[in-house]
Amino acid sequence: MANLWKSCLRWQPLDIEGRLQHVNATETLTAAARIVNGTKTYGSGDAAVTALQNINVEFGGAQFTAIMGPSGSGKSTLMHCIAGLDRLTSGDAFIGETRLSDLKDRKLTELRRTEVGFIFQSFNLVPTLTAEENINLPLSLGGRNGDREWIDTVIDTVGLRDRLSHRPNELSGGQQQRVAVARALASRPTIIFADEPTGNLDSNSGSEVLAFMRRAVDEFGQTIVMVTHDANAAATADRVLFLNDGEIVHNMTEPTADRILDTMKSIGN
Amino acid sequence: MIKLALRGARSNLGRLILTLISVVLGVAFVSGSFVLADSLRSIFDQVSEDAFAGVDAQVRGASDDMNSTNGEIPRFDDDIVSAISALPEAEYTEGGLFSFERAYTIDANDEVVRPTGPPVFTGSWAGPSPVSSFRIVEGEPPVGQQVVIDPVQAERGGFVVGQDITISLPTGEPEVFTLSGTIDFGEGGTGGAFFILFDLPTTQRVLGLPGRIDSVVVSAAEGVSPDELVTAISAVLPSDLEAVTGEVVIGEQKEDFGTFINIFGNVLLGFAVVVLFVSTFIINNTFATLVGQRTRMFGLMRSIGASGKQIMQMVFIEAGSIGIAASGLGLVGGLGVAAALKRLFSSAGGEFPDGPLEIRARTIVVVIVVGMGVTLASAILPALRASRVTPLEAFRTGGATSRPLTTRIALGSAVLLPGLIFMAIGMFGDPGGTSATLAMIGVGGALTFIGMSMLSAMFAGAVAGFIGAPVAALRGVTGRIARGNASRNPQRTSSTVTALMIGLALISGVAVLTRSILDSFEEVLNESISADLWIFESNQGLEFSGLLVDQLAELPEVDQVAGFSPTAIRIDGEVLTASGFDSSTGTSVVNMGILEGVAEVGRDGLAVLDSVAEERQIAIGDSIDVEFEDGFVTSLEVRGIFDDAALAGADWLIDRGLSREHRITDAITFAGLTYADGVDPVVGRAAVEEATSVFPQLSVQDNTEFQEEAEGQIAQLQVVITALLVLCLVVAFFGIVNTMVLAVLERTREIGLLRAVGMTRRQLQSSVRWEAAIISLFGALLGVALGLLLGWAAVIAIPDSFVSKLGIPWGQLVVYIIVGGLLGVVAAWFPARRAARLDVLEAISTQ
Repeated sequence: MANLWKSCLRWQPLDIEGRLQHVNATETLTAAARIVNGTKTYGSGDAAVTALQNINVEFGGAQFTAIMGPSGSGKSTLMHCIAGLDRLTSGDAFIGETRLSDLKDRKLTELRRTEVGFIFQSFNLVPTLTAEENINLPLSLGGRNGDREWIDTVIDTVGLRDRLSHRPNELSGGQQQRVAVARALASRPTIIFADEPTGNLDSNSGSEVLAFMRRAVDEFGQTIVMVTHDANAAATADRVLFLNDGEIVHNMTEPTADRILDTMKSIGN
Repeated sequence: MIKLALRGARSNLGRLILTLISVVLGVAFVSGSFVLADSLRSIFDQVSEDAFAGVDAQVRGASDDMNSTNGEIPRFDDDIVSAISALPEAEYTEGGLFSFERAYTIDANDEVVRPTGPPVFTGSWAGPSPVSSFRIVEGEPPVGQQVVIDPVQAERGGFVVGQDITISLPTGEPEVFTLSGTIDFGEGGTGGAFFILFDLPTTQRVLGLPGRIDSVVVSAAEGVSPDELVTAISAVLPSDLEAVTGEVVIGEQKEDFGTFINIFGNVLLGFAVVVLFVSTFIINNTFATLVGQRTRMFGLMRSIGASGKQIMQMVFIEAGSIGIAASGLGLVGGLGVAAALKRLFSSAGGEFPDGPLEIRARTIVVVIVVGMGVTLASAILPALRASRVTPLEAFRTGGATSRPLTTRIALGSAVLLPGLIFMAIGMFGDPGGTSATLAMIGVGGALTFIGMSMLSAMFAGAVAGFIGAPVAALRGVTGRIARGNASRNPQRTSSTVTALMIGLALISGVAVLTRSILDSFEEVLNESISADLWIFESNQGLEFSGLLVDQLAELPEVDQVAGFSPTAIRIDGEVLTASGFDSSTGTSVVNMGILEGVAEVGRDGLAVLDSVAEERQIAIGDSIDVEFEDGFVTSLEVRGIFDDAALAGADWLIDRGLSREHRITDAITFAGLTYADGVDPVVGRAAVEEATSVFPQLSVQDNTEFQEEAEGQIAQLQVVITALLVLCLVVAFFGIVNTMVLAVLERTREIGLLRAVGMTRRQLQSSVRWEAAIISLFGALLGVALGLLLGWAAVIAIPDSFVSKLGIPWGQLVVYIIVGGLLGVVAAWFPARRAARLDVLEAISTQ
């Protein structure tokens, strides 16, 4: 009984089909995630370092956003705070309409499991699990089967059908990142965060992975936020946010690699 | 370099502390064994010296190798006393008579007052004198119908000086004596023994030995040395008596106690060695892991100019500092262990004399050598490996490369094979002497365990995967991750569980052996015993008065009754043990397993075990010259050949009527009887119990009770041994904690990832616990399987007369396996918590 009740609670905010339609129809009205007046400081007193300074940002549904900025500009902190891995010092972070600061660790973990997808730069997969088990990991952790048809589609899209029973150490770096992309997509999360997803890959594998992320946005209406150093990677996105010293200094739509590089230079100066 | 090494030790303090604990446990056990044995030795040395303090010379029966009774010595006529006291060299002369476990004081509740363990002596005392062993604590020496006892016994029985006490006597007729006083030896007390002392004539009367004594103690006249006194006395002694100085007597006494204490101490040391052995695996595992984790650091040091030798030294210094710390803590812990052991044995029915615990210099030296030695020895392989780290490895990413399994398998087999061979030689061969046999089995066992530990890496992954299958199926992805982690590093899994494996192997080996002994015993009882009742001393199987058999034979309710007693005989110059039994009635209470001839050998015949008959080429009808304890020689005809040494208890059977006449005592070890036709068992038993009640130390039991009693006693022994071996499990426990802590640390990043993609703290904890459970279940299964093998080998190696069939205590073994699994779960409690508390962000950005 308690379990049934729990799973009802779990499903309630999900309602995948409904939400997706809703998001597609009213793209600009409801953001997949947003930060309102977000400030993050580390340490206290004289040693205090401000990583984010009163930031307001929205990530619209079915949009691919890249975040760029020099080292220490706060781009990773921004991502961590909005992904529920870190907490803001002040201000609010939302995934959908859920205010992250209201959640205790357990609820936050469940939120990450159901509403957020992650792609890290490296060490993305659990070495003891097969590719397929890694893809299903967030779903299995929640004791769910997920939408099998959808997962099959994802697997075919990233081209991993014949690698499903392999363990991560039997896969190439590019294949491992594709598994990570598939895992992020598998639970149809509200938003996917990618932290330098191509940072460790050669350029061919890198563009492959970026192509899949692009398709996920275009074909499946997935929202993706990607932190990157690579102008070419950022150019695949719909818009690019530039951070410097904890503030958003520029917002570029329809980016190209050249424009991005120019902007980066101007920030550097 | 030393500074660096110590800093290394300090930065790994948390992990090293767990290792330290496992060494300390082993070292403390060693030190505890020494402390306990030394303390006992001091007490008994004191007792020996107190008892013979004023004695310059003692006269006794010439020592003889033919003496089947423990503590009873030859008796002689007391008229020799006057001859000795007439000597001018003798100042004071006193003849005495002692016996043990014959008379007991009875308290107000009709219960026997006796210590559990130490004996009860009955003897004569003429009051304070220069040669007196005892001193008065309270009251007066005994005269006539008076008695003195030791204060502990008085307190236990609730007796006060002046009171009348009932004392059960070997005559079969309890008498009432007045307690005239209490006595002891001196400061050392009585070493736990009880004393019941009368004057000499009363002692001779109650022991049924009129006019007999077993020793004369003499003090020298002024100016006469003990040696001169002995020479003077020897001149008047017949050939079957000898005189020795008091110093010799004290020396012999100390040696007698010492032999017992040494055995006791060595048995404890044996357990201590096992615990130490087990902890070497933990130390080795910890250092191997630490070295592996620091490969990059060592590589860096090599690249900036440290030599391989220096790296090795660093690891050794780290190990040495642990060894020193463990030795110090272990030494102190030894006092606690000694106290705990005392309590363990007391609770199992033994009684320890009181005395201070003492640490001798030898103990300190041994403990430091052992603590350091074990730690350094366990660090040898990891240190070697550290010294071989190349500078290049500083720049290699990823963890340490593990040695290929093939090397391990080759090494493991190279160790296992000689181990098995040594054990086999020890068990089935005859390497010469008990100590050689034990050494063979010990070394063989150690090698077998080391080899098994190395080889188990071969299948650790597969088996852990197999054990984990139901976990993975039932617990979903948490279970799958646990299972994957348990089988991902087979080498570590196998070395982690080695301690558990060895501990459980020994414990379940003991359980198998115990069950086998009980099953064999039960089989013997069921197949060959027809007695309705058994009578024996229930505490330690001590001997009791043979008069009881005669008394029981008079009862109308009893049809046949037979007593059994061991006796020493000499055949062809060789001293052997024979079983004396009432050959005319014996076969009605037990089946002697006669193959040829008869069991009713009569006073001029004997029966012999078939294998002995074959070896000595003895056939029915042969005549054999047999010498008895008192020197009497007679020719006996071989009348029977039997195959069941278990019941006979000896290779030779003779008539008890014959042996009792030529033995120092007529005491028997047990008696069996059958009811007369038509006697109601309840009535029959009541009559027998009534007749036996004059010997309150005796139990009357039927077959079932007898069996239960034996089971209880053997089970108690098993409990004590298991309790000692449990220390291995404690060490194993810390080993598992250690490995799990290291594993969690190593996997910090993976844990961060899992938490990021949605694993809750609870799920993470559960997966770490399941991992430990799977690992320890693997160790438990391995241990119990090895234990079965060990038990089986022991059953084969031990003569059939003692253990004839293999009994497997399935229930206990299953419990051990479950306990092993639970041990892992509990051990993982702290590491799992630690894993769950990791900060997700920090964990995920760990390099």
